[in-house]
Amino acid sequence: MSALGRTRSVALAVAWRSIHNAFTNPAFLLPSVLFPLFFFIAFAGGLSGVQNAPDFDYKSGYTSFQFAFVCIQAAAFGGVFTGFAIAADFEFGFARRLMLAAPNRGGIIIGYMISAMVRAIFVLGVVFLAGLVAGMRIDGSLGDLAALLVLALCVSAVATLWSAGIAMRLRTMQAGPAMQMPVFILLFLAPVYVPLNLVAGWVHDVARFNPATAFLEAARGFVSGEPTKVGITAICLVAMFALAALWARGGLRSAEQAG
Amino acid sequence: MTEERGIDVQGLVREFKGGVRAVDGIDLRVAAGEIYGFLGPNGAGKSTTVKVLTTLLPPTTGRATVAGYDVAKQGAKVRAAIGVALQDVALDPMLTGSEHMRLQGGLQGIPRAERGRRGDELLERVGLSDAADRKASTYSGGMKRRLDLALALLHKPRILFLDEPTTGLDVQSRTALWEEVARLAREEGTTVFLTTQYLEEADVLANRVGIIDRGTIVAEGTPAALKAQVAKPTVELVPRDGGECAAASAALAPFGEAVAPRTAGSIAVRLDSGADQLADIVRALDQANVAVMNLALHEPTLDDVFLAKTGRSLEGAAQEAPPEPAAERERALA
Repeated sequence: MSALGRTRSVALAVAWRSIHNAFTNPAFLLPSVLFPLFFFIAFAGGLSGVQNAPDFDYKSGYTSFQFAFVCIQAAAFGGVFTGFAIAADFEFGFARRLMLAAPNRGGIIIGYMISAMVRAIFVLGVVFLAGLVAGMRIDGSLGDLAALLVLALCVSAVATLWSAGIAMRLRTMQAGPAMQMPVFILLFLAPVYVPLNLVAGWVHDVARFNPATAFLEAARGFVSGEPTKVGITAICLVAMFALAALWARGGLRSAEQAG
Repeated sequence: MTEERGIDVQGLVREFKGGVRAVDGIDLRVAAGEIYGFLGPNGAGKSTTVKVLTTLLPPTTGRATVAGYDVAKQGAKVRAAIGVALQDVALDPMLTGSEHMRLQGGLQGIPRAERGRRGDELLERVGLSDAADRKASTYSGGMKRRLDLALALLHKPRILFLDEPTTGLDVQSRTALWEEVARLAREEGTTVFLTTQYLEEADVLANRVGIIDRGTIVAEGTPAALKAQVAKPTVELVPRDGGECAAASAALAPFGEAVAPRTAGSIAVRLDSGADQLADIVRALDQANVAVMNLALHEPTLDDVFLAKTGRSLEGAAQEAPPEPAAERERALA
Protein backbone atom coordinates (compact mmCIF):
# COMPACT_ATOMS: atom_id res chain seq x y z
CA MET A 1 0.00 0.00 0.00
CA SER A 2 1.31 3.47 -0.88
CA ALA A 3 2.03 6.10 1.78
CA LEU A 4 -1.03 8.02 0.62
CA GLY A 5 -3.17 4.89 0.83
CA ARG A 6 -1.93 4.20 4.36
CA THR A 7 -2.68 7.78 5.43
CA ARG A 8 -6.16 7.49 3.97
CA SER A 9 -6.78 4.19 5.72
CA VAL A 10 -5.61 5.56 9.09
CA ALA A 11 -7.68 8.73 8.66
CA LEU A 12 -10.84 6.79 7.81
CA ALA A 13 -10.35 4.43 10.74
CA VAL A 14 -9.86 7.28 13.23
CA ALA A 15 -12.82 9.16 11.75
CA TRP A 16 -15.00 6.06 11.89
CA ARG A 17 -14.30 5.56 15.59
CA SER A 18 -14.96 9.20 16.51
CA ILE A 19 -18.17 9.33 14.49
CA HIS A 20 -19.30 5.95 15.82
CA ASN A 21 -18.73 7.03 19.42
CA ALA A 22 -20.43 10.38 18.85
CA PHE A 23 -23.55 8.93 17.29
CA THR A 24 -23.91 5.96 19.64
CA ASN A 25 -23.44 8.06 22.79
CA PRO A 26 -25.91 10.94 22.99
CA ALA A 27 -23.90 12.42 25.86
CA PHE A 28 -21.12 13.11 23.37
CA LEU A 29 -23.26 14.59 20.61
CA LEU A 30 -25.87 16.52 22.58
CA PRO A 31 -23.65 19.36 23.83
CA SER A 32 -22.45 20.13 20.31
CA VAL A 33 -26.09 20.29 19.14
CA LEU A 34 -27.63 22.04 22.13
CA PHE A 35 -24.96 24.71 22.43
CA PRO A 36 -25.57 26.31 18.99
CA LEU A 37 -29.31 25.71 19.22
CA PHE A 38 -29.41 27.60 22.49
CA PHE A 39 -27.44 30.48 20.96
CA PHE A 40 -29.70 30.50 17.92
CA ILE A 41 -32.93 30.53 19.88
CA ALA A 42 -31.69 33.01 22.47
CA PHE A 43 -30.15 35.50 20.05
CA ALA A 44 -32.60 35.21 17.17
CA GLY A 45 -35.54 35.41 19.57
CA GLY A 46 -34.32 37.74 22.29
CA LEU A 47 -32.55 40.22 20.06
CA SER A 48 -34.95 40.24 17.10
CA GLY A 49 -35.72 43.89 17.79
CA VAL A 50 -32.24 44.72 16.49
CA GLN A 51 -33.56 44.42 12.95
CA ASN A 52 -35.61 47.57 13.57
CA ALA A 53 -32.46 49.62 14.17
CA PRO A 54 -32.10 52.37 11.53
CA ASP A 55 -28.84 51.09 10.05
CA PHE A 56 -29.64 47.39 10.17
CA ASP A 57 -29.65 46.63 6.46
CA TYR A 58 -29.62 42.82 6.29
CA LYS A 59 -32.44 41.97 3.96
CA SER A 60 -33.20 38.39 5.07
CA GLY A 61 -34.11 39.37 8.64
CA TYR A 62 -32.54 38.88 12.05
CA THR A 63 -33.18 35.13 12.33
CA SER A 64 -31.19 34.54 9.13
CA PHE A 65 -28.57 37.03 10.35
CA GLN A 66 -28.09 34.93 13.49
CA PHE A 67 -28.32 31.63 11.60
CA ALA A 68 -25.16 32.52 9.69
CA PHE A 69 -23.34 33.25 12.96
CA VAL A 70 -24.57 30.04 14.57
CA CYS A 71 -23.33 28.04 11.56
CA ILE A 72 -19.82 29.43 11.95
CA GLN A 73 -19.94 29.15 15.72
CA ALA A 74 -21.19 25.53 15.66
CA ALA A 75 -18.51 24.57 13.16
CA ALA A 76 -15.76 26.22 15.21
CA PHE A 77 -16.86 24.76 18.52
CA GLY A 78 -17.36 21.34 16.92
CA GLY A 79 -13.65 21.48 16.15
CA VAL A 80 -12.89 22.48 19.73
CA PHE A 81 -15.00 19.60 21.08
CA THR A 82 -13.00 17.27 18.85
CA GLY A 83 -9.89 18.68 20.52
CA PHE A 84 -11.38 17.70 23.88
CA ALA A 85 -11.80 14.14 22.56
CA ILE A 86 -8.19 14.05 21.37
CA ALA A 87 -6.99 15.23 24.79
CA ALA A 88 -9.12 12.53 26.44
CA ASP A 89 -7.60 9.88 24.18
CA PHE A 90 -4.13 10.94 25.29
CA GLU A 91 -5.04 11.28 28.94
CA PHE A 92 -6.67 7.85 29.14
CA GLY A 93 -4.09 6.06 27.01
CA PHE A 94 -6.09 5.18 23.91
CA ALA A 95 -3.97 7.48 21.77
CA ARG A 96 -1.11 5.03 22.30
CA ARG A 97 -3.00 2.46 20.25
CA LEU A 98 -3.37 4.97 17.45
CA MET A 99 0.28 6.01 17.66
CA LEU A 100 1.46 2.39 17.64
CA ALA A 101 -0.85 1.02 14.99
CA ALA A 102 -0.80 3.85 12.50
CA PRO A 103 2.19 3.63 10.19
CA ASN A 104 1.51 7.20 9.10
CA ARG A 105 0.56 9.27 12.13
CA GLY A 106 -0.45 12.31 10.10
CA GLY A 107 -3.54 10.30 9.21
CA ILE A 108 -4.62 10.43 12.86
CA ILE A 109 -5.05 14.22 12.71
CA ILE A 110 -6.82 14.02 9.36
CA GLY A 111 -9.16 11.39 10.82
CA TYR A 112 -10.11 13.59 13.74
CA MET A 113 -10.65 16.47 11.30
CA ILE A 114 -12.97 14.38 9.12
CA SER A 115 -15.00 13.34 12.16
CA ALA A 116 -15.35 16.98 13.25
CA MET A 117 -16.61 17.88 9.79
CA VAL A 118 -19.15 15.05 9.72
CA ARG A 119 -20.43 16.11 13.12
CA ALA A 120 -20.59 19.72 11.92
CA ILE A 121 -22.76 18.67 8.97
CA PHE A 122 -25.16 16.96 11.39
CA VAL A 123 -25.30 19.92 13.77
CA LEU A 124 -25.75 22.42 10.94
CA GLY A 125 -28.59 20.28 9.60
CA VAL A 126 -30.34 20.39 12.97
CA VAL A 127 -29.84 24.16 13.30
CA PHE A 128 -31.04 24.68 9.71
CA LEU A 129 -34.22 22.73 10.41
CA ALA A 130 -34.75 24.67 13.64
CA GLY A 131 -34.32 27.90 11.69
CA LEU A 132 -36.85 26.86 9.06
CA VAL A 133 -39.33 25.97 11.79
CA ALA A 134 -38.73 29.40 13.33
CA GLY A 135 -39.56 31.05 10.00
CA MET A 136 -36.02 31.82 8.86
CA ARG A 137 -35.76 33.32 5.37
CA ILE A 138 -33.22 31.87 2.97
CA ASP A 139 -32.72 34.15 -0.01
CA GLY A 140 -29.58 32.42 -1.24
CA SER A 141 -29.59 29.77 -3.94
CA LEU A 142 -28.68 26.13 -3.41
CA GLY A 143 -25.20 27.08 -4.64
CA ASP A 144 -25.00 29.79 -1.96
CA LEU A 145 -26.05 27.32 0.71
CA ALA A 146 -23.45 24.84 -0.54
CA ALA A 147 -20.85 27.61 -0.30
CA LEU A 148 -22.02 28.34 3.26
CA LEU A 149 -21.56 24.67 4.11
CA VAL A 150 -18.06 24.63 2.61
CA LEU A 151 -17.20 27.76 4.60
CA ALA A 152 -18.46 26.17 7.83
CA LEU A 153 -16.54 22.96 7.16
CA CYS A 154 -13.35 24.91 6.54
CA VAL A 155 -13.84 26.74 9.84
CA SER A 156 -14.43 23.38 11.51
CA ALA A 157 -11.20 22.01 10.02
CA VAL A 158 -9.15 25.01 11.17
CA ALA A 159 -10.62 24.84 14.69
CA THR A 160 -9.93 21.10 14.85
CA LEU A 161 -6.31 21.56 13.79
CA TRP A 162 -5.87 24.35 16.33
CA SER A 163 -7.37 22.26 19.13
CA ALA A 164 -5.46 19.14 18.07
CA GLY A 165 -2.22 21.11 18.36
CA ILE A 166 -3.07 22.07 21.94
CA ALA A 167 -4.41 18.63 22.87
CA MET A 168 -1.33 16.83 21.58
CA ARG A 169 1.05 19.22 23.28
CA LEU A 170 -0.62 19.11 26.70
CA ARG A 171 -2.22 15.62 26.47
CA THR A 172 -4.71 16.31 29.25
CA MET A 173 -8.35 17.29 29.33
CA GLN A 174 -7.36 20.22 31.49
CA ALA A 175 -6.20 21.78 28.22
CA GLY A 176 -9.87 22.43 27.34
CA PRO A 177 -9.91 26.16 28.20
CA ALA A 178 -6.71 26.71 26.21
CA MET A 179 -8.46 25.31 23.14
CA GLN A 180 -11.77 27.04 23.74
CA MET A 181 -10.88 30.55 24.85
CA PRO A 182 -9.02 31.81 21.76
CA VAL A 183 -11.84 30.54 19.51
CA PHE A 184 -14.42 32.12 21.77
CA ILE A 185 -12.60 35.46 21.81
CA LEU A 186 -12.04 35.44 18.05
CA LEU A 187 -15.73 34.75 17.39
CA PHE A 188 -17.12 37.23 19.87
CA LEU A 189 -14.83 40.05 18.79
CA ALA A 190 -16.62 39.92 15.45
CA PRO A 191 -20.01 41.48 14.59
CA VAL A 192 -22.08 38.74 16.21
CA TYR A 193 -25.27 40.58 17.15
CA VAL A 194 -25.31 43.49 14.73
CA PRO A 195 -23.61 44.32 11.43
CA LEU A 196 -20.09 45.77 11.60
CA ASN A 197 -21.32 49.30 10.88
CA LEU A 198 -23.36 49.21 14.10
CA VAL A 199 -20.49 48.00 16.28
CA ALA A 200 -18.84 50.87 18.14
CA GLY A 201 -15.63 51.65 20.04
CA TRP A 202 -12.58 49.42 20.30
CA VAL A 203 -14.58 46.33 19.44
CA HIS A 204 -15.25 47.87 16.03
CA ASP A 205 -11.54 48.49 15.53
CA VAL A 206 -10.68 44.91 16.46
CA ALA A 207 -13.57 43.47 14.46
CA ARG A 208 -12.41 45.24 11.30
CA PHE A 209 -9.22 43.18 11.29
CA ASN A 210 -10.64 40.01 12.78
CA PRO A 211 -10.80 37.22 10.17
CA ALA A 212 -13.97 35.95 11.87
CA THR A 213 -15.67 39.16 10.68
CA ALA A 214 -14.96 38.16 7.09
CA PHE A 215 -16.29 34.66 7.76
CA LEU A 216 -19.50 36.01 9.30
CA GLU A 217 -20.09 38.53 6.54
CA ALA A 218 -19.42 35.91 3.86
CA ALA A 219 -21.80 33.48 5.60
CA ARG A 220 -24.51 36.14 5.86
CA GLY A 221 -23.95 37.01 2.22
CA PHE A 222 -24.55 33.38 1.21
CA VAL A 223 -27.76 33.22 3.28
CA SER A 224 -29.11 36.43 1.78
CA GLY A 225 -28.05 35.49 -1.76
CA GLU A 226 -25.64 38.42 -1.96
CA PRO A 227 -22.18 36.85 -1.58
CA THR A 228 -19.69 39.28 -0.08
CA LYS A 229 -16.06 39.19 1.04
CA VAL A 230 -15.67 35.71 -0.50
CA GLY A 231 -12.14 36.39 -1.75
CA ILE A 232 -10.75 37.69 1.54
CA THR A 233 -12.52 34.88 3.38
CA ALA A 234 -10.90 32.28 1.14
CA ILE A 235 -7.45 33.85 1.60
CA CYS A 236 -7.87 34.01 5.38
CA LEU A 237 -9.06 30.40 5.51
CA VAL A 238 -6.20 29.09 3.40
CA ALA A 239 -3.67 30.99 5.54
CA MET A 240 -5.28 29.91 8.81
CA PHE A 241 -5.56 26.32 7.61
CA ALA A 242 -1.87 26.26 6.70
CA LEU A 243 -0.84 27.74 10.05
CA ALA A 244 -3.17 25.46 12.01
CA ALA A 245 -1.92 22.41 10.08
CA LEU A 246 1.67 23.31 11.00
CA TRP A 247 0.56 23.85 14.59
CA ALA A 248 -1.15 20.46 14.69
CA ARG A 249 1.87 18.78 13.09
CA GLY A 250 4.04 20.33 15.80
CA GLY A 251 1.63 18.98 18.41
CA LEU A 252 1.94 15.51 16.93
CA ARG A 253 5.74 15.77 17.06
CA SER A 254 5.50 16.87 20.69
CA ALA A 255 3.33 13.84 21.49
CA GLU A 256 5.80 11.59 19.65
CA GLN A 257 8.67 12.98 21.72
CA ALA A 258 6.78 12.46 24.96
CA GLY A 259 5.80 8.87 24.16
CA MET B 1 15.42 -13.12 6.61
CA THR B 2 17.07 -12.61 10.01
CA GLU B 3 17.13 -8.87 9.49
CA GLU B 4 13.48 -8.83 8.41
CA ARG B 5 12.41 -10.46 11.64
CA GLY B 6 15.20 -9.48 13.98
CA ILE B 7 16.03 -6.74 16.46
CA ASP B 8 19.44 -5.13 16.73
CA VAL B 9 20.21 -2.58 19.44
CA GLN B 10 23.52 -0.81 19.90
CA GLY B 11 24.36 1.60 22.71
CA LEU B 12 20.74 2.58 23.23
CA VAL B 13 20.17 5.40 25.71
CA ARG B 14 16.90 7.02 26.72
CA GLU B 15 17.17 9.91 29.07
CA PHE B 16 14.21 11.75 30.56
CA LYS B 17 13.97 15.30 31.81
CA GLY B 18 16.03 15.79 34.92
CA GLY B 19 18.77 13.55 33.58
CA VAL B 20 17.12 10.27 34.59
CA ARG B 21 18.57 7.54 32.35
CA ALA B 22 15.89 4.88 32.15
CA VAL B 23 17.91 3.01 29.52
CA ASP B 24 21.65 3.46 29.81
CA GLY B 25 23.55 2.16 26.82
CA ILE B 26 22.14 -1.29 26.15
CA ASP B 27 23.19 -3.64 23.36
CA LEU B 28 21.14 -6.62 22.34
CA ARG B 29 20.32 -8.73 19.33
CA VAL B 30 17.24 -10.86 18.86
CA ALA B 31 17.25 -13.44 16.08
CA ALA B 32 14.36 -14.29 13.78
CA GLY B 33 11.76 -16.56 15.34
CA GLU B 34 13.31 -16.26 18.76
CA ILE B 35 11.42 -15.57 21.99
CA TYR B 36 13.56 -13.10 23.87
CA GLY B 37 12.71 -12.60 27.50
CA PHE B 38 13.61 -9.19 28.91
CA LEU B 39 13.65 -9.68 32.63
CA GLY B 40 14.01 -7.13 35.37
CA PRO B 41 12.31 -5.53 38.34
CA ASN B 42 9.91 -2.60 38.10
CA GLY B 43 11.72 0.55 37.02
CA ALA B 44 14.64 -1.35 35.51
CA GLY B 45 14.07 0.12 32.04
CA LYS B 46 12.13 -2.72 30.37
CA SER B 47 9.08 -0.72 29.33
CA THR B 48 11.15 2.26 28.21
CA THR B 49 13.21 -0.06 26.00
CA VAL B 50 10.01 -1.45 24.48
CA LYS B 51 8.67 2.06 23.88
CA VAL B 52 11.83 3.00 22.03
CA LEU B 53 11.86 -0.20 19.97
CA THR B 54 8.19 0.23 19.06
CA THR B 55 8.70 3.91 18.07
CA LEU B 56 6.58 5.29 20.91
CA LEU B 57 9.64 7.12 22.24
CA PRO B 58 12.68 8.32 20.30
CA PRO B 59 16.06 7.20 21.60
CA THR B 60 18.29 9.85 23.15
CA THR B 61 21.39 8.27 21.63
CA GLY B 62 22.33 4.91 20.18
CA ARG B 63 20.86 2.94 17.34
CA ALA B 64 18.14 0.34 17.11
CA THR B 65 16.80 -1.50 14.11
CA VAL B 66 13.62 -3.52 14.20
CA ALA B 67 12.72 -5.74 11.24
CA GLY B 68 15.67 -4.13 9.47
CA TYR B 69 14.37 -0.57 9.91
CA ASP B 70 15.86 2.19 12.03
CA VAL B 71 13.41 3.07 14.82
CA ALA B 72 14.44 6.73 14.79
CA LYS B 73 14.30 7.29 11.03
CA GLN B 74 11.91 4.69 9.63
CA GLY B 75 9.17 4.66 12.23
CA ALA B 76 6.33 4.03 9.77
CA LYS B 77 8.04 0.91 8.38
CA VAL B 78 8.82 -0.36 11.87
CA ARG B 79 5.19 0.07 12.94
CA ALA B 80 3.96 -1.77 9.86
CA ALA B 81 6.17 -4.74 10.73
CA ILE B 82 5.45 -5.08 14.45
CA GLY B 83 2.59 -5.92 16.75
CA VAL B 84 2.54 -4.48 20.25
CA ALA B 85 0.66 -5.35 23.42
CA LEU B 86 1.72 -2.96 26.14
CA GLN B 87 1.46 -3.36 29.88
CA ASP B 88 -1.54 -1.01 30.08
CA VAL B 89 -4.07 -2.21 27.54
CA ALA B 90 -5.30 0.66 25.39
CA LEU B 91 -8.91 -0.14 24.64
CA ASP B 92 -11.89 2.10 24.00
CA PRO B 93 -14.56 1.11 26.54
CA MET B 94 -17.28 2.16 24.12
CA LEU B 95 -16.20 -0.17 21.33
CA THR B 96 -16.96 -3.89 21.20
CA GLY B 97 -14.33 -6.53 20.54
CA SER B 98 -15.35 -6.73 16.87
CA GLU B 99 -15.30 -2.96 16.54
CA HIS B 100 -11.79 -2.83 17.98
CA MET B 101 -10.77 -5.34 15.31
CA ARG B 102 -12.37 -3.21 12.63
CA LEU B 103 -10.60 -0.08 13.89
CA GLN B 104 -7.24 -1.83 14.15
CA GLY B 105 -7.66 -3.26 10.65
CA GLY B 106 -8.24 0.22 9.30
CA LEU B 107 -5.25 1.65 11.15
CA GLN B 108 -3.07 -1.12 9.77
CA GLY B 109 -4.41 -0.72 6.25
CA ILE B 110 -5.77 -4.27 6.01
CA PRO B 111 -8.12 -4.64 3.02
CA ARG B 112 -11.74 -4.26 4.09
CA ALA B 113 -12.74 -7.74 2.90
CA GLU B 114 -9.99 -9.36 4.93
CA ARG B 115 -10.59 -7.37 8.13
CA GLY B 116 -13.76 -9.12 9.22
CA ARG B 117 -12.53 -12.62 8.45
CA ARG B 118 -9.18 -12.13 10.14
CA GLY B 119 -10.79 -10.36 13.10
CA ASP B 120 -13.27 -13.19 13.66
CA GLU B 121 -10.48 -15.74 13.35
CA LEU B 122 -8.35 -14.03 15.99
CA LEU B 123 -11.23 -13.44 18.38
CA GLU B 124 -11.96 -17.15 18.09
CA ARG B 125 -8.32 -18.02 18.72
CA VAL B 126 -8.13 -15.96 21.92
CA GLY B 127 -11.49 -17.27 23.10
CA LEU B 128 -13.48 -14.06 22.73
CA SER B 129 -15.95 -15.06 20.03
CA ASP B 130 -18.85 -15.11 22.46
CA ALA B 131 -17.92 -11.66 23.78
CA ALA B 132 -17.17 -10.15 20.38
CA ASP B 133 -20.26 -7.96 20.42
CA ARG B 134 -19.87 -6.80 24.00
CA LYS B 135 -18.33 -3.44 24.82
CA ALA B 136 -14.77 -3.60 26.15
CA SER B 137 -15.94 -1.86 29.33
CA THR B 138 -17.67 -5.11 30.30
CA TYR B 139 -14.54 -7.27 29.81
CA SER B 140 -12.53 -8.72 32.67
CA GLY B 141 -8.81 -7.96 32.95
CA GLY B 142 -7.92 -11.26 31.30
CA MET B 143 -10.35 -10.67 28.42
CA LYS B 144 -8.88 -7.21 27.83
CA ARG B 145 -5.39 -8.71 27.66
CA ARG B 146 -6.53 -11.34 25.19
CA LEU B 147 -8.26 -8.74 23.03
CA ASP B 148 -5.12 -6.63 23.14
CA LEU B 149 -3.07 -9.61 21.98
CA ALA B 150 -5.54 -10.35 19.17
CA LEU B 151 -5.33 -6.72 18.04
CA ALA B 152 -1.54 -6.89 18.04
CA LEU B 153 -1.69 -9.94 15.76
CA LEU B 154 -4.28 -8.67 13.29
CA HIS B 155 -1.85 -7.64 10.55
CA LYS B 156 0.35 -10.73 10.97
CA PRO B 157 3.35 -8.87 12.40
CA ARG B 158 6.84 -10.26 11.88
CA ILE B 159 7.86 -9.17 15.37
CA LEU B 160 5.65 -9.12 18.43
CA PHE B 161 6.38 -6.97 21.48
CA LEU B 162 4.68 -8.04 24.68
CA ASP B 163 5.24 -5.78 27.67
CA GLU B 164 4.48 -7.70 30.85
CA PRO B 165 1.56 -9.45 29.16
CA THR B 166 0.54 -11.61 32.09
CA THR B 167 0.73 -9.11 34.93
CA GLY B 168 -2.49 -9.38 36.89
CA LEU B 169 -3.75 -12.45 35.05
CA ASP B 170 -5.04 -15.57 36.74
CA VAL B 171 -3.11 -18.80 36.28
CA GLN B 172 -5.44 -20.14 33.59
CA SER B 173 -5.25 -16.98 31.47
CA ARG B 174 -1.50 -16.82 31.94
CA THR B 175 -1.02 -20.38 30.77
CA ALA B 176 -3.27 -19.82 27.75
CA LEU B 177 -1.28 -16.74 26.78
CA TRP B 178 2.02 -18.59 27.16
CA GLU B 179 0.74 -21.34 24.89
CA GLU B 180 -0.34 -18.85 22.26
CA VAL B 181 2.98 -17.00 22.35
CA ALA B 182 4.91 -20.24 22.04
CA ARG B 183 2.70 -21.32 19.15
CA LEU B 184 3.25 -18.03 17.32
CA ALA B 185 7.01 -18.43 17.47
CA ARG B 186 6.93 -22.13 16.67
CA GLU B 187 4.35 -22.26 13.89
CA GLU B 188 4.41 -18.77 12.39
CA GLY B 189 8.05 -17.88 12.94
CA THR B 190 7.10 -14.69 14.77
CA THR B 191 9.92 -13.11 16.73
CA VAL B 192 8.75 -12.28 20.24
CA PHE B 193 10.25 -9.65 22.52
CA LEU B 194 8.73 -10.28 25.91
CA THR B 195 9.30 -8.20 28.99
CA THR B 196 8.46 -9.70 32.31
CA GLN B 197 9.22 -9.52 35.99
CA TYR B 198 8.16 -13.13 36.45
CA LEU B 199 11.09 -15.52 36.56
CA GLU B 200 8.92 -18.46 35.66
CA GLU B 201 7.57 -16.73 32.58
CA ALA B 202 11.04 -16.02 31.22
CA ASP B 203 12.16 -19.51 32.12
CA VAL B 204 9.22 -21.27 30.46
CA LEU B 205 8.87 -19.14 27.35
CA ALA B 206 12.14 -17.55 26.38
CA ASN B 207 14.84 -19.05 24.19
CA ARG B 208 17.16 -16.39 25.49
CA VAL B 209 16.92 -13.97 28.38
CA GLY B 210 18.36 -10.53 28.91
CA ILE B 211 18.39 -9.31 32.49
CA ILE B 212 18.16 -5.55 32.88
CA ASP B 213 18.75 -3.61 36.06
CA ARG B 214 18.93 0.16 36.46
CA GLY B 215 18.98 0.68 32.71
CA THR B 216 21.79 -1.69 31.83
CA ILE B 217 21.84 -5.32 30.79
CA VAL B 218 23.61 -7.29 33.49
CA ALA B 219 23.34 -10.76 31.97
CA GLU B 220 22.23 -12.34 28.71
CA GLY B 221 21.98 -15.90 27.40
CA THR B 222 19.76 -18.95 27.42
CA PRO B 223 18.10 -19.53 30.79
CA ALA B 224 20.09 -22.75 31.23
CA ALA B 225 23.40 -21.10 30.37
CA LEU B 226 22.75 -18.16 32.65
CA LYS B 227 21.91 -20.43 35.52
CA ALA B 228 24.92 -22.62 34.82
CA GLN B 229 27.14 -19.54 34.87
CA VAL B 230 26.29 -18.54 38.37
CA ALA B 231 25.03 -21.54 40.26
CA LYS B 232 24.99 -25.32 40.29
CA PRO B 233 22.10 -27.60 41.14
CA THR B 234 21.53 -28.58 44.73
CA VAL B 235 20.47 -31.98 45.90
CA GLU B 236 18.40 -32.13 49.06
CA LEU B 237 17.33 -35.23 50.91
CA VAL B 238 15.40 -36.22 54.01
CA PRO B 239 16.59 -39.46 55.65
CA ARG B 240 13.87 -41.84 56.76
CA ASP B 241 15.55 -42.07 60.13
CA GLY B 242 16.62 -38.77 61.65
CA GLY B 243 19.62 -40.52 63.22
CA GLU B 244 21.06 -41.20 59.77
CA CYS B 245 21.75 -37.55 59.02
CA ALA B 246 25.44 -37.86 59.75
CA ALA B 247 25.78 -40.93 57.53
CA ALA B 248 23.83 -39.21 54.76
CA SER B 249 26.06 -36.14 55.01
CA ALA B 250 29.16 -38.28 54.80
CA ALA B 251 27.79 -40.11 51.74
CA LEU B 252 27.05 -36.81 50.00
CA ALA B 253 30.31 -35.06 50.96
CA PRO B 254 32.29 -36.23 47.87
CA PHE B 255 29.71 -34.69 45.54
CA GLY B 256 29.91 -31.09 46.66
CA GLU B 257 29.70 -28.47 49.34
CA ALA B 258 27.06 -28.67 52.07
CA VAL B 259 24.65 -25.77 51.99
CA ALA B 260 21.70 -24.64 54.08
CA PRO B 261 18.68 -26.83 53.28
CA ARG B 262 15.36 -25.29 52.22
CA THR B 263 13.41 -27.42 54.71
CA ALA B 264 14.25 -28.26 58.27
CA GLY B 265 15.50 -31.79 58.93
CA SER B 266 16.98 -32.26 55.50
CA ILE B 267 20.51 -32.23 54.13
CA ALA B 268 21.52 -30.18 51.12
CA VAL B 269 24.64 -30.28 48.98
CA ARG B 270 25.51 -28.00 46.03
CA LEU B 271 26.82 -30.38 43.41
CA ASP B 272 30.30 -29.79 42.03
CA SER B 273 29.25 -31.05 38.63
CA GLY B 274 25.77 -31.10 37.21
CA ALA B 275 22.58 -33.05 37.67
CA ASP B 276 24.17 -36.07 35.98
CA GLN B 277 25.71 -36.93 39.37
CA LEU B 278 22.30 -37.92 40.68
CA ALA B 279 22.65 -41.64 39.86
CA ASP B 280 26.02 -41.77 41.65
CA ILE B 281 24.46 -40.06 44.68
CA VAL B 282 21.70 -42.64 44.88
CA ARG B 283 24.28 -45.42 44.65
CA ALA B 284 26.42 -43.80 47.39
CA LEU B 285 23.44 -43.51 49.70
CA ASP B 286 22.56 -47.14 49.05
CA GLN B 287 26.10 -48.24 49.84
CA ALA B 288 25.99 -46.22 53.07
CA ASN B 289 22.68 -47.94 53.96
CA VAL B 290 20.86 -44.63 54.28
CA ALA B 291 17.13 -44.98 53.73
CA VAL B 292 15.76 -41.90 52.05
CA MET B 293 12.24 -40.58 52.56
CA ASN B 294 12.55 -37.78 50.04
CA LEU B 295 15.20 -36.69 47.56
CA ALA B 296 14.97 -33.61 45.38
CA LEU B 297 17.16 -31.89 42.84
CA HIS B 298 16.87 -28.09 42.83
CA GLU B 299 18.00 -26.35 39.66
CA PRO B 300 19.25 -22.80 40.12
CA THR B 301 16.69 -20.12 39.24
CA LEU B 302 16.98 -16.89 37.30
CA ASP B 303 16.63 -15.15 40.63
CA ASP B 304 19.95 -16.76 41.58
CA VAL B 305 21.37 -15.26 38.38
CA PHE B 306 19.96 -11.83 39.22
CA LEU B 307 21.32 -12.12 42.75
CA ALA B 308 24.76 -13.05 41.50
CA LYS B 309 24.89 -10.22 38.98
CA THR B 310 23.39 -7.42 41.04
CA GLY B 311 23.80 -8.49 44.64
CA ARG B 312 20.03 -8.25 45.15
CA SER B 313 17.16 -10.62 44.62
CA LEU B 314 14.72 -9.79 41.87
CA GLU B 315 11.85 -9.55 44.32
CA GLY B 316 13.74 -7.18 46.60
CA ALA B 317 14.84 -5.04 43.67
CA ALA B 318 11.24 -4.71 42.52
CA GLN B 319 10.27 -3.25 45.86
CA GLU B 320 13.07 -0.69 46.00
CA ALA B 321 13.00 0.42 42.37
CA PRO B 322 11.44 3.80 41.53
CA PRO B 323 8.72 3.90 38.85
CA GLU B 324 9.84 4.65 35.32
CA PRO B 325 9.41 8.39 34.64
CA ALA B 326 7.20 8.01 31.59
CA ALA B 327 5.04 5.42 33.26
CA GLU B 328 4.13 7.66 36.15
CA ARG B 329 1.53 9.64 34.27
CA GLU B 330 0.19 6.79 32.20
CA ARG B 331 -3.16 5.31 32.95
CA ALA B 332 -5.12 2.73 31.08
CA LEU B 333 -8.41 3.68 29.57
CA ALA B 334 -10.12 0.40 29.86
